[in-house]
Amino acid sequence: MVELLQTLLQRPNFIVFVILFLWGIYIMAAHPNFVKKLIGLYIVQTSAIFFLVAFSAKEGATVPIIPDGETVVNALNYANPLPHVLTVTAIVVQVATLGVSLALVTAIYRHFGSLEEDEILEQLDEQ
Amino acid sequence: MSSNLPMLLFLIPFVVGVAIPTVTVKRRALCPIIALGTVSVMVLLAIANLHVVQTKGPIEYALGGWGAPIGIAWLDDSLAAVVILAICMAALLSLIYGQVTVSSEHKKSMQYYTLILILLSGLVGIVFAADLFNVFVFLEVAALTGYALVGAGGGKASLYAFRYLLLGSFGATLYLLGLGHLYVATGTLNMADLAVRIPEILTSTAVVSGLIYIFLGLSIKMALIPLHSWLPDAYVNAPSAVSPLLASTVTKVALVAWVRIEYSLIAPNVEVGHVPVLVVLEELGVLAALIGGALALIQTDLKRMFAYGGVSHIGLILIGVSLGNTTGFTGGMFYLINDMFMQAALFMIAGILLHYHGARTLDDIRDTARFSPWLTGSLVVAAIAMVGLPPTGGFFGKWNIILGALEAQHYVAAFAVLGSTLLTLAYFLKIFASWFFQPQAGDTAAVELSGASRISLGIISITMIALGLSSDSVFQLLLATVNSGGV
Repeated sequence: MVELLQTLLQRPNFIVFVILFLWGIYIMAAHPNFVKKLIGLYIVQTSAIFFLVAFSAKEGATVPIIPDGETVVNALNYANPLPHVLTVTAIVVQVATLGVSLALVTAIYRHFGSLEEDEILEQLDEQ
Repeated sequence: MSSNLPMLLFLIPFVVGVAIPTVTVKRRALCPIIALGTVSVMVLLAIANLHVVQTKGPIEYALGGWGAPIGIAWLDDSLAAVVILAICMAALLSLIYGQVTVSSEHKKSMQYYTLILILLSGLVGIVFAADLFNVFVFLEVAALTGYALVGAGGGKASLYAFRYLLLGSFGATLYLLGLGHLYVATGTLNMADLAVRIPEILTSTAVVSGLIYIFLGLSIKMALIPLHSWLPDAYVNAPSAVSPLLASTVTKVALVAWVRIEYSLIAPNVEVGHVPVLVVLEELGVLAALIGGALALIQTDLKRMFAYGGVSHIGLILIGVSLGNTTGFTGGMFYLINDMFMQAALFMIAGILLHYHGARTLDDIRDTARFSPWLTGSLVVAAIAMVGLPPTGGFFGKWNIILGALEAQHYVAAFAVLGSTLLTLAYFLKIFASWFFQPQAGDTAAVELSGASRISLGIISITMIALGLSSDSVFQLLLATVNSGGV
């Protein structure tokens, strides 16, 4: 038990990731309001991006650009650019998703006059 | 020129899709012509691409001239070429069929064509991508247009589109997490490199959890039971012009992405902690095939019935590709190509019924006196294909899945295929019982279908039979993929 705690505490980044991920899922599942569900989804997506950033973090590393004329390259001195590229692309995808989802939420509000899931389900039952 | 075919297949729909709103803002009548022309060109290019792949072997396309380890690679092998051709043909038929309900005066017709074309470019990207992250990006391109298309009808559809979006984006996030895990464990995202590095460390926790995340994410996208709940609501409420294309392509292409990952990373008979991985996947397929069929049987709404039918067929294909032998694999992939056309045909029939007869449920069909022979004919062909009788393609797919199951001595899987066939037969009997029921009113003339619906129904029926008749050559193509080592 103590060992488990020790290994966990050595990785605070990943604990934050797990907390964000579960928190987001909880909001998505538990809140009846659609905008809050979206916020939950956003937190889940952010936690995945946080995970990508967390494992690529490197202390004392610099940008991976080799200066002119340098022949000996020590890879340990440079940060790995690929996870950051993934992160930027994932953020772009996340923004696009947010745009589409807000448009859909607007359409739902125009049709049902409400954003609460239980009220909308009641309306559907009446039809 | 020939080596740029994959890129052309991706760029043409994308560029045209983005250009449509600017070009046709004053002349809306041009939209359908441009879209149909583009997709026809894509079909021709896909045929050319298939020919090139057949004669010269797989093409590895390095984007921007940067090769695989540093740059992003696309793999254009015979499996990809066949699937792309099927996607393009299904899209062309769906667009022709779309003319029935989407007139150029329609307020949203321009957006419809734009979204369809961008959806197509996303699907092409998923099939070609040989890099896990590329698959993620294109999955999201396809999924975002899918959400928009489902919600395009407004009203109730936007609610179901929103639910689809919540689940779909969550699935994509799981996939992203999974590929992050694999990257941590191997330091690469290229599928060919992963195929070399993963098998040695398949039992490590990071790889196992990464693969589980990826599978969960993709099974939401492919609507594998029990993660299917978004699909029936979304497809039933989507506009009739949209559901054939979505039903025929989106879930299947997500499955193709999973098949590539599964086939290159997980060797047959491999066990993780005494759990045989492929058998687990196969059992999930068995459950999906049987439960999906049973759920379809208890529906009364025609579109909903067909949607659950599609869910059960995803299970069948998953059984085929998870048997771990060539027969099952080619059978499963052949069935996937067939299923694209079957789903498109079924949703076209359901859409035409709704448009011309206002019939949505089995009772509505019972009350309708006469149907056009085109509609009855194509329903019969689609039913034969779904149940899997020769000479349609459905038979050869199922036959090979069963042969593969017997070869692997997985009798549960073989019985599941038979069981789901019986369930399919049962729900089509239910439809036919209402279809051929004559209400007393009798002598009303059959409704004349428009040219667009006749053409789309006719061609798709011919395609389903032609696929069966030419099954041998398609199997040869799929075998070529398997024999070349990678998928």
